Amino acid sequence: MPRPISRSLFLKGLVGLTAGATVGKLWYDWMQAKASIPCKMLGPSMSIGHKLRDGATLGRKSEQPPEECKVTIIGAGISGLSAAWWLKRQGMTDFRILELESHVGGNSASGSNRVSAYPWGAHYVPLANQESQYVRMLFEELGIIAGYDSTERPIYNELFLCHEPQERLFKDGSFQEGLVPKRGLQKSDSRQIAKFFETVKRFRDTVGSDGKPAFAIPLDLSSTDQAIVSLDKLSMSQWLQDNGFDSKPLLWYVNYCCRDDYGSALEHVSAWAGLHYFAGRRGNAANAENNSIVTWPEGNGFLVDKLKQGLKDQIISGAPVIAVSDSGSAVDTVFVRSETGECLSTKSERVIFAAPRFISKFLLKGDLAKSQVDFEALSYAPWLVANITLRTVPRARGTALAWDNVSYYSRSLGYVVATHQNITTRAGETVVTYYLPLSGSDPNVARHELLSTSSEHWSKVIVADLEQMHPEISKDIIAIELWPWGHGMIRPSVGFIWGDTRRKMKESQGKVFFAHSDMSGISNFEEAQYHGIKAAQGVLDQLRRS
Amino acid sequence: MTYPLLLTAFAISTCGLVYELIAGTVASYLLGDSVTQFSTVIGVYLFFMGIGSFLSRYVNKNIVLTFVQVELLVGLVGGSSATLLFILFERVESFRILLYGLVAIIGILIGLEIPLLMRILKDRLEFKELVSQVFTFDYVGALLASLIFPLILVPYLGLIRASFLFGLLNVLVAIWTIYLFKAELPWLRSLRAMAVVLVIALVGGFAYSDKLMAFAESSTFQDPIIYSTSTPYQRIVITGGGKDVKLFLNNNLQFSSRDEYRYHEALIHPAMASLKHPRDVLVLGGGDGMAVREILKYPSVASVTLVDLDSEMVSLFRDQPLFSQLNGDALKDKRVSIINQDAFTWLKRCHNTFDIAIVDFPDPSNFSLGKLYTDTFYRAVKKVLGPQGLVVVQSTSPYFAKNSFWCVVSTLSSVGFQTVPYHAYVPSFGDWGYVIGAKSPFQLAASYPDGLRYVSADTVNQLFSFPKDMLPTINSVNKLNNQSLVHLFESEWGEYAETH
Repeated sequence: MPRPISRSLFLKGLVGLTAGATVGKLWYDWMQAKASIPCKMLGPSMSIGHKLRDGATLGRKSEQPPEECKVTIIGAGISGLSAAWWLKRQGMTDFRILELESHVGGNSASGSNRVSAYPWGAHYVPLANQESQYVRMLFEELGIIAGYDSTERPIYNELFLCHEPQERLFKDGSFQEGLVPKRGLQKSDSRQIAKFFETVKRFRDTVGSDGKPAFAIPLDLSSTDQAIVSLDKLSMSQWLQDNGFDSKPLLWYVNYCCRDDYGSALEHVSAWAGLHYFAGRRGNAANAENNSIVTWPEGNGFLVDKLKQGLKDQIISGAPVIAVSDSGSAVDTVFVRSETGECLSTKSERVIFAAPRFISKFLLKGDLAKSQVDFEALSYAPWLVANITLRTVPRARGTALAWDNVSYYSRSLGYVVATHQNITTRAGETVVTYYLPLSGSDPNVARHELLSTSSEHWSKVIVADLEQMHPEISKDIIAIELWPWGHGMIRPSVGFIWGDTRRKMKESQGKVFFAHSDMSGISNFEEAQYHGIKAAQGVLDQLRRS
Repeated sequence: MTYPLLLTAFAISTCGLVYELIAGTVASYLLGDSVTQFSTVIGVYLFFMGIGSFLSRYVNKNIVLTFVQVELLVGLVGGSSATLLFILFERVESFRILLYGLVAIIGILIGLEIPLLMRILKDRLEFKELVSQVFTFDYVGALLASLIFPLILVPYLGLIRASFLFGLLNVLVAIWTIYLFKAELPWLRSLRAMAVVLVIALVGGFAYSDKLMAFAESSTFQDPIIYSTSTPYQRIVITGGGKDVKLFLNNNLQFSSRDEYRYHEALIHPAMASLKHPRDVLVLGGGDGMAVREILKYPSVASVTLVDLDSEMVSLFRDQPLFSQLNGDALKDKRVSIINQDAFTWLKRCHNTFDIAIVDFPDPSNFSLGKLYTDTFYRAVKKVLGPQGLVVVQSTSPYFAKNSFWCVVSTLSSVGFQTVPYHAYVPSFGDWGYVIGAKSPFQLAASYPDGLRYVSADTVNQLFSFPKDMLPTINSVNKLNNQSLVHLFESEWGEYAETH
């Protein structure tokens, strides 16, 4: 009879197995870490911004006399470029554009690699509304709108209209077409979803007592009818609750849309802004559905490239502005040439301040510093954008790869595919742009988290998130590039859009005009362009009169 | 001798579970729906293990001999199970009968193992010890199998090799048992010989598993593969059985040399012959050169521009005599120039003018191919045609996918072509559709080149009439931003695939 296994042998065995498993796991992790995906943190030049904030001295004095011009534009994002576009259109070319970064574009910046061009931020524009006349003007000039049919509907260039399939949603283990959840719905969910879309459709067709549409693009053209404007005083989540919407899939969808457009969750977005997303877009086309959009591999970087053509003589990039002051007869704008460290300046009759609005409190000096704006009321959502180069298009269950690919379970917004608009049949390498709004916590906390965490950490978070949709994606990743946006976009908090702060933000201060989508409270191409053009019009108007 | 035998329990339970997992995985790969496959395979397997355990009562004499025989048999059947399933998948009428039959046989044999082993051990251990120890080793083995299967076996060895490896393990258990009981066992020599033969066979299977896999793949094709390659764009497979050479791109039949003349004559001649003096011809797709062969039958042709993305495909049909004889060396003709680019991007940059364009792309089975059937694409084609210009488009089957076919017609009309749809019967494909798009009124030719076997002035009229069952029920224009053709094509061919 053999000896049964003794207690001590059993315990020793157990300890041995545990030790073995631990060593094995450590070894495995080490091997995994060694095989990690190359990742790189890019991103806006924050050091200069932070030095400005902290009042540090920047640059050394130069002997060069100030450059004289009629107008100085600060910032070459969509607002600044649009202001320049308008000035040029009106025959005015005596201006300079000063840009902090070495590239132009602001939130619409883009990059490119061997595989494709790709966006670093804004990546599409919806079909232009009737009242969005400046968007239409630009689209006509660039051939995005090729003409109009007999009923005055614009005919869009089909290569730019988002190709089918436009969107898909990962839910319950596979992808479905479209972003509105379809699978696993209760009867009450479907009923509420239908009711929600009927309600927003009513808002879309509503005209206020002043004869203006309830929700217009740009939003300053909206009706100021109190019945509609008062929606700004409650949050989107409150509005949904008040109207009996409590279906989880519906709330997910509306929350997704708010995070997508405003970088914030339902509770932090004003109901007016939340509804504007659904009811504001009234654009149509002769050759597309009403909910279509135009997009390019490089996102709105396409529009930036077009706008900056012909502005070569005016754009000075790598030129952070450090002070703007009114010397009585002119405005002096002091900037640093990043390359040489020299302080230079422009002397101009007017300034269009087209940088994020909160930065003006650091740059405007002397009398100009006496602003009425309560900058504390401005809240900005931090974002992380990643461009991921893949060996092959990501494989998954359900419908085929779309332009916009979203997961029901993720805190990210999913990803858009840069090569979607290509007219090639070559399968293979692609770039996808992944968007993560840090909408969960307080923006300041989230901003700190964003900027203090390593790129390796973030790329692990992103890969883990993508693996939920595409279990095998990690072996197809060639590289990940990250772009943290500390102040990604302004948040339309409750009361902001129709409140005092925004009204004051729009007012010019002496010879300085402001232009930025911050002054709309929502961050998109149409708003940025509108404020750029309005500022240019204001400047031209004053110059003409004086 | 007790511990060696208990180790046996460990080994056989690992093997047993691995076979079960292999069967479940192969079934999910081949039949899809992994939840159903795994639950039915596991259920059937456990049930037949029960049958095996029940049958063990009828083994009364020479338990060790039976145990060794069972091990050898498990090694053979289990070890070759993945290979058998892969290879026979295409060759048997009902794959499920084979699958569950195999699962049942392995289940019975595995079910016999543990009761036999316990009976071998019964005189050596106290009953409570026997039960405790045998089942401990049995379950630990199961855990091991369930962990190494997904983490090591499938990713690093693959299913075929994993199954041979574990078959080998079963045979080694048999050899081990023969060694332990050599004093008691009859027929020692023949048992040993059998074990050695099995070891050689299984090691051979393990070593040549790549070849076996290739063979398993080749069985998706009826005829022997005479050429196969993977280019950056597609998998090209050419099979040849006697006179019949077939070309498959990504497993879809492109032509069969037996009847491709019907397809290509119908594609080229109704349009080509209607032109008085076609000079400059554009071919988009069609890298196999068969369409070019038909085009060169017109002496007025001065230039043929062939745009095909895949250079390997074109050089195969230009430089390999075996295949270039099929197109009569058309691709070597001086008048032919070959451009290996994306048709759409090439067209957008093209400034030449052609008398006729032949559009011969694969069916619109995915969104990137669907872009080559859009109004935007046809507008780009129209731009490179002269004022009398014609385009012909291969446009899938008006019988199997009637709405898809008519969607191509509407799309061509929407960009201002006068459309002339027609169809021809190609036995390998079925009833196949084409559309002529004309910039000025189209009139059929009175005569055709000599030597045609299918198209002739007397019979060509038949191609232009459509019976009722080929008329559309939906009318839509295919655009980049709706891809309605791909949606139609998926639903129509999907329906057809489901009912057959």
